[in-house]
Amino acid sequence: MIRSISWKNVWRNKSRSLVVIVAVTLGIISGVLLVGIMKGWVEQRLHDAIYNEVSHVQIHNKEYLKNEEIHLTVNDTAEIIKAIEDLPGLLGWVKRTRMIAMVNTSWANTGVSVYGIDPGKEKHVTEIWKRMVPGAGEYLDEAKPGNILISDKTAEILKLKQYIITDEVINLLKSENVPATVLSKLDTLKDVRFRSPKDFREALKSELKKKELDKFGNLIVGKALDYRIRNKVQITISDETGTPVQGTFRVCGIYKTTNTGFDQATVFVNANELAKLYDGKAILIHEISILLNNVENAGLVKEKLAGISPDNEINTWQELAPDAAMMNDYMVMYYIIFIGIIMLALAFGIINTMMMTILERTRELGMLMAIGMNRKKVFSMIMLETMFLTLVGAVAGMLSGWVIIELLGKTGIHFASWGEGFEEWGFAAIVYPVITPDFFLFITIMVIVTAIISSIWPARKALKLNPVETLRTE
Amino acid sequence: MKVIDINNVRKIYDETEVAVRAVDGVTLSFDEAEFAAIVGPSGSGKTTLLNLIGGLDNPTSGEIMIAGTNLSNLKSSELIDFRLHNIGFVFQSYNLIPVLSAKENVEFIMCLQKWPKAERDIRTFELLNAIGLGDRINSRPAKMSGGQQQRVAVARALASRPKFVLADEPTANLDSRSASTLLEIMEKLNHEEKITFIFSTHDARVVKMAHRVITLEDGKVVSDDVRE
Repeated sequence: MIRSISWKNVWRNKSRSLVVIVAVTLGIISGVLLVGIMKGWVEQRLHDAIYNEVSHVQIHNKEYLKNEEIHLTVNDTAEIIKAIEDLPGLLGWVKRTRMIAMVNTSWANTGVSVYGIDPGKEKHVTEIWKRMVPGAGEYLDEAKPGNILISDKTAEILKLKQYIITDEVINLLKSENVPATVLSKLDTLKDVRFRSPKDFREALKSELKKKELDKFGNLIVGKALDYRIRNKVQITISDETGTPVQGTFRVCGIYKTTNTGFDQATVFVNANELAKLYDGKAILIHEISILLNNVENAGLVKEKLAGISPDNEINTWQELAPDAAMMNDYMVMYYIIFIGIIMLALAFGIINTMMMTILERTRELGMLMAIGMNRKKVFSMIMLETMFLTLVGAVAGMLSGWVIIELLGKTGIHFASWGEGFEEWGFAAIVYPVITPDFFLFITIMVIVTAIISSIWPARKALKLNPVETLRTE
Repeated sequence: MKVIDINNVRKIYDETEVAVRAVDGVTLSFDEAEFAAIVGPSGSGKTTLLNLIGGLDNPTSGEIMIAGTNLSNLKSSELIDFRLHNIGFVFQSYNLIPVLSAKENVEFIMCLQKWPKAERDIRTFELLNAIGLGDRINSRPAKMSGGQQQRVAVARALASRPKFVLADEPTANLDSRSASTLLEIMEKLNHEEKITFIFSTHDARVVKMAHRVITLEDGKVVSDDVRE
């Protein structure tokens, strides 16, 4: 009966209850979205950190990470490789040569880490091959010598990311319904090669009106993009004696991950060709990366491999990508902070509504106590009423939030204007929000706790009512 | 058999500079199945006396025994429980629970007393039929007239078979026809259920039907007439 009265009381003043319910619904939707985006970002960052950058476990010479010198190779590789191949749950492993290098084109140069890899094996451990920019060359192939794989960012720095408006580009823009008036303005830029996005945009700005630039600028920039695939790139490294040695490679393809910092510092060549450059008799192994079938086992693998050689350093992904690990570890804390703030704001609204309810029903509450409804039942009635009011909004909010997350999880949210900023910190410019059932359980518990806390003050107020006095009120 | 025994009860309000003796040395007793009216001018102490008998207020001095229990010895929580099991209330403004139907309002006290559903249903229909509202069981108070609401309030007060019913000016808000119907029903239930009814009233029709009329003035009993 108490449950029934409480539920009916919620709908007594429909418009007032709906205001609270809508507020709770919107609060929960924003909480779900906020946490979904955050979780999506963190999971993407975690995935990209592991599958593009550091794998689950890496082995280096103890001194290598402090001082990336050519002679600091992994020790006791034979024993280590044997132990790795015996690991349970092993998905793949690779050995790499990794050297500090200067790369340059005719127009620019930059410092990078050049990785000498076995492209076939690398595909089992990293996903760089899945991150190739469409239409911008291909992944490294051991059967095709003399190639270098660089990132979109490195291409931009080396001025290999160029822009040119050709007849073909004009035709493509026509097919995308760019008006003839705009296309005619591009005539003056035709066949002029721009070696940076900035220069090209400046040129477009001088030819097109702001409105035209806003509407068609990105499309024109996209279509006019011309990576200089097969362009020569010179690599300079120091050999074992410290003498600079150079080699020339041709760009075979362009990749792009969500981490601009990683991209601009990383180029790949075939390991045997890098070995020719430093004139090594064998391929030097500076890094071994291990991918497991369960991220949780990284620590165990580290322990297992640690005893083999004291001169090596074995790191888990948490140690190699501490930013991603920290975000992952603190995710629950973010939940609590975000949802806690939302619940705190909602609690004030709920308390206010319930206080008004108590004030309006003073006489009725007095009558209930007069005819024999004890304090425990009065308290329960008000608490249940608050709980129902909040839970209706919470369920509506969680359902709506889940639907929105499901939709956005497919389309992604494009933070295009901030994309570059995000990617510099290793976060994707397109985020796919994710929500797990445990979050809904967490939010349900938070809502119930908020409802209970919010009901205490109004319920105490009701318990303090004196039946004789309340029955006298008109 | 005595149901209520009031012994030299006083209620003095001294919140203002001048102490007000709302009830001043009242000694009364009520037997089972009495149909008694407490009358007197406004401010004579009728409602205060009913509140004291109902355990809603504490006397300044004196004692009130209900079926052998001294109300002054009960703690606040015990008093609520005592009222639930022993006293029925009918208020001037009906005071039904607006979100509940007539049936739910009547069975509310029985729910609080944890009666089994089957017994609750039998008693509820019995009472609603007795008050002539057997066809309005699902109506909410807002859909009923004042007279009908007050009849439901009487049914609610009687539902759990209390030792007595206190009715504070039950006909004050009713037109004469509704008031007559209500009084007839109350007298019938008093007769059938053998439950004591005590009213405070100004209404001459109530006084006329009462079997005992107690007159209060300035908090004192000035007459106590039992009619045959």
